[in-house]
Amino acid sequence: MNIKNDPLWVNVIKQIRLWARLNSVWAVHFNSGSCNGCDIEILATLTPRYDVERFGIKLEGSPRHADVLIVTGPVTRQARERLLRTYEQMPEPKFVISVGSCSISGGVFNGCYNVGGSTDEVIPVDVYIPGCPPRPEAIVDGIIQLLSGLRDGTLRKAEIPQTTGQVPA
Amino acid sequence: MNIETTLQQAEGLLAPWNKEATHPESNRLDVVIASGSLRHAVTALHNAHWGYLSAITGLDLGADAGQMEALYHFCFGAALTTLRIRLPRTALALPTIEDIIPPATFFERELHEMLGFKIAGTKSNDRLFIPDDWPDEVFPLRADFSIEQAKPVEGRQTDEVLEAGVVGGNKFVVPIGPQHPALKEPGHFEFSVDGEIVTAARMRLGYAHRGIEKAAEGRNWIQNLYLFERICGICSHTHSLAYCLGVEKLAHVEVSTRAQAIRELVAGLERIHSHLLWLGVAAHEAGFDTLFMYSWRDRETVMNLLEQLTGNRVNYSANVLGGVKCDIGLEQATAIKEGLNFLETRIRHYLEVVTTDTMFLNRTRGIGTISYTEAEEFGLLGPTARASGLVRDVRVEAPYGAYKQFPISAVTETNGDLEARCAVRLNELLVSCFAIRAIIDNLPQGPLTVKMPRKIPAGETISRVEAPRGELFYYIKSNGTEHPARIHVRTPSLCNWVSVLEKAVGRQLADVPMLIAGMDPCFSCNDRMITTVDRSGSRQTLSWTQLRERGIEYYRK
Amino acid sequence: MSALTSLTSLLIFPAGLTLILFGMFYEWVDRKLVARFQNRVGPRWFQPFADIVKLLAKEQITPKVVNPFLFFGLPVIAVSGALTAALYVPLIGFAPVRSFTGDLIVTIYLLSLLTLCIGLAGWNTSSRFSLIGATRALTQLFAYEAPFLLALLGPALAAGTWQINLINDYARGHWMAISQPVGFVVALIGLMGKLELPPFDAPEAETEIVAGALTEYSGRGLALFKVGKSIELIVGITLVSAFYLGGLHGVLPFLAKTLGVLFLMAMLQSLLTRLRIDQTVGMWWRFGSILVLAQILLTIVLKGDLL
Repeated sequence: MNIKNDPLWVNVIKQIRLWARLNSVWAVHFNSGSCNGCDIEILATLTPRYDVERFGIKLEGSPRHADVLIVTGPVTRQARERLLRTYEQMPEPKFVISVGSCSISGGVFNGCYNVGGSTDEVIPVDVYIPGCPPRPEAIVDGIIQLLSGLRDGTLRKAEIPQTTGQVPA
Repeated sequence: MNIETTLQQAEGLLAPWNKEATHPESNRLDVVIASGSLRHAVTALHNAHWGYLSAITGLDLGADAGQMEALYHFCFGAALTTLRIRLPRTALALPTIEDIIPPATFFERELHEMLGFKIAGTKSNDRLFIPDDWPDEVFPLRADFSIEQAKPVEGRQTDEVLEAGVVGGNKFVVPIGPQHPALKEPGHFEFSVDGEIVTAARMRLGYAHRGIEKAAEGRNWIQNLYLFERICGICSHTHSLAYCLGVEKLAHVEVSTRAQAIRELVAGLERIHSHLLWLGVAAHEAGFDTLFMYSWRDRETVMNLLEQLTGNRVNYSANVLGGVKCDIGLEQATAIKEGLNFLETRIRHYLEVVTTDTMFLNRTRGIGTISYTEAEEFGLLGPTARASGLVRDVRVEAPYGAYKQFPISAVTETNGDLEARCAVRLNELLVSCFAIRAIIDNLPQGPLTVKMPRKIPAGETISRVEAPRGELFYYIKSNGTEHPARIHVRTPSLCNWVSVLEKAVGRQLADVPMLIAGMDPCFSCNDRMITTVDRSGSRQTLSWTQLRERGIEYYRK
Repeated sequence: MSALTSLTSLLIFPAGLTLILFGMFYEWVDRKLVARFQNRVGPRWFQPFADIVKLLAKEQITPKVVNPFLFFGLPVIAVSGALTAALYVPLIGFAPVRSFTGDLIVTIYLLSLLTLCIGLAGWNTSSRFSLIGATRALTQLFAYEAPFLLALLGPALAAGTWQINLINDYARGHWMAISQPVGFVVALIGLMGKLELPPFDAPEAETEIVAGALTEYSGRGLALFKVGKSIELIVGITLVSAFYLGGLHGVLPFLAKTLGVLFLMAMLQSLLTRLRIDQTVGMWWRFGSILVLAQILLTIVLKGDLL
């Protein structure tokens, strides 16, 4: 955001856009072969005890509607293609959160034959949440860190590309 | 009928083809037969209703021995009969038994995929767990397997799918998964629909296939405990329990009664968390989000209890080889009792909801009905079977650990529809609560752990444990070293898939998520198919972390 | 009315911008109530606004196989239809901006235009899920449209006119929820079907068909459809409460009555399981229609007596 050179109204629009992106985070969840521990803790964040809807986070079904891809599991060979495709289906700006030790490095399955190991070899990851599995509070904390990074512009992607791609349905 | 008579009966039935019979353990009978007599032997056992086929294990006896073995395990109550067939590596041909026992088809496909047995006469040779781009003659579980052999085949997708969306003439294929809101775990189903009615169903597993069994061969017994625990996050304790029971049997170690009781207590708590989780997920599938929210809110109570007891909400690691590592003091006991009071009230409330709420019943009553005979024929296990009146519960039929002292009564229903499955699961929880209270009040004194040797004596053992989804079957073989020779896991969900595929046909598409949810599937349990495979560094990958490289080095044979 | 006044009323007040803001407010109330029923805290007051702005700022991905004219045009047509329908109902307690004999029918069909656009959008994007979602949306349209129309017909008969303005005036002092209870119930539930709220959300059943007809939409198109839906929410509730709850004359009665209806709808949403599409259609054609026809017959007979 180059404040000096942009007229005021452009800045205002950018601020509003940023505010909207920070307060309305729609997530789609992808399990690339995990044991489900992380997945049930992710689901638990929607339930009354943790209730992430109050932060504007909604779990969506279609990748086309989502902003954040939450990945769990050591990427198995079968899941790899699907993971890539799910990521590509998401419109910009999009972010990826890697939840659990398996997603970060393969976890306890490191070295197994059908396992790719780490999500960031397949798609670019913004936030890593370690744990086996991480508590729902840790997952919420990870999402907050993503949002802080977005607000401060310290995420991996400095520029959010504006592309309108033609992709197959 | 006690175990001895049962085994004698089996031996009698198998006499014509018996080449050699042994009793490796007091409740097991091993009968060596020739591959030509396999079908006769199986028919004999099947016609006499001698138990059910629980698993088929494949063993590679080593490149030097030049032989492989196939083990067919039949369970009748606490008695186990194994048919052993030895074949030379060059001539691995076996006849199919899937026409006699339908669920054998999954086991046979696994045998073929993993070890290369050629099963003659099977209906389908589709890949079950291994990706479709895996080269054809490479079998992961063989002793001489190395990862270089498994380079992806050009031009093939990792999962071949049916023709995409054939629209026209009203035939339409709807894929469900692996990324789909209905599935919290990846699996791929294809339902051909005609309007809203399902006309055919197909399934592809293996998205969570991690090669655990093979990895186990490269790790020592203690490391494997933590590996097997993570086959499934929801039934983690039962996996580690089955593993520990098996290894302790091989080492001839007697675990203290206190540790056994604590193990049963944690298993009971795990069942509560698992079934409440299931209730929420089933309600969410039906579109009843309120029930989902309420049941998961109440589930937090049992998660707190588990955390207080073991230190973690999921993957508790309560078991160690030789005992348990968490104790139940006065504080924990009081907390557990208070928690159970609350949970019992809520469970009774949910029981009322699932049996009387008209709109929920619309989605569950009379749907997916499986009769008693069908359940037997499909080889169903766990609450899915018990809802049709078939008592398949290892805790009742073959009590292990502390279940002899603190028994569980079997809970069954007769209708066999989705409603019955809901009722069975919730009633089971009430039984568990009762057992947990009994344990707390009568906890035996004693040490928490006993000493275990690092090298487990050679031998084979089978341990069967009742997971929340059904019978969990572990076959463990040791050759006297610090590493297991072979561990084969057969999870209950594998047997229960048939119920979904068969029953989906003719029903509405909208019923499919409910059917899938009704059998409480656990993809991660299914897919852990093994084979330890060493990973060499020859894959095309980007940077490896230090840890991973170290891991590769360690597991390199 | 001069062109300027018409334009202002269409674009800014009481329709247009004001309506969109009101729509977001009502959507928030609905989500908050459902959350509270589910024992949760629920979203913050500006949530729907943040959602729409975020969607507008997102990349719009156009699937290859669509007809681009339809792909971009349908959301716009949907919102226009909803906005236009708003001109004829007593929004925020003020008299309808425009009014003519028979505008009840026009309004109802403008509202249905939204559903039709969603159905077409689903067909257009032709992914498997959106096709099934579109089919279900249209099937549901056939199911509840007739009973819903008949349920609104009841008060129209009692008032002796087809003009919303006049029905609203007639309803002042006449709480037809009491004199035509069956009609009220059918209208309320019919409205939930129209808005595809649970238990009638089979067209967008997340666990079966991902996101239904709108699965492939993203960015601006999705934002417009969402805006259209929240406008439909307000307009529908306004219509039902104007007819059955004693007319809407003034801001406070408007707020009180419409929020009351919303509360009832939120309660029904939380209490009931989703119905399968065949169960929805079955229920409507068997019970809904018959009940409401009986109600109308009764109204005609009574009215005949009163005349």
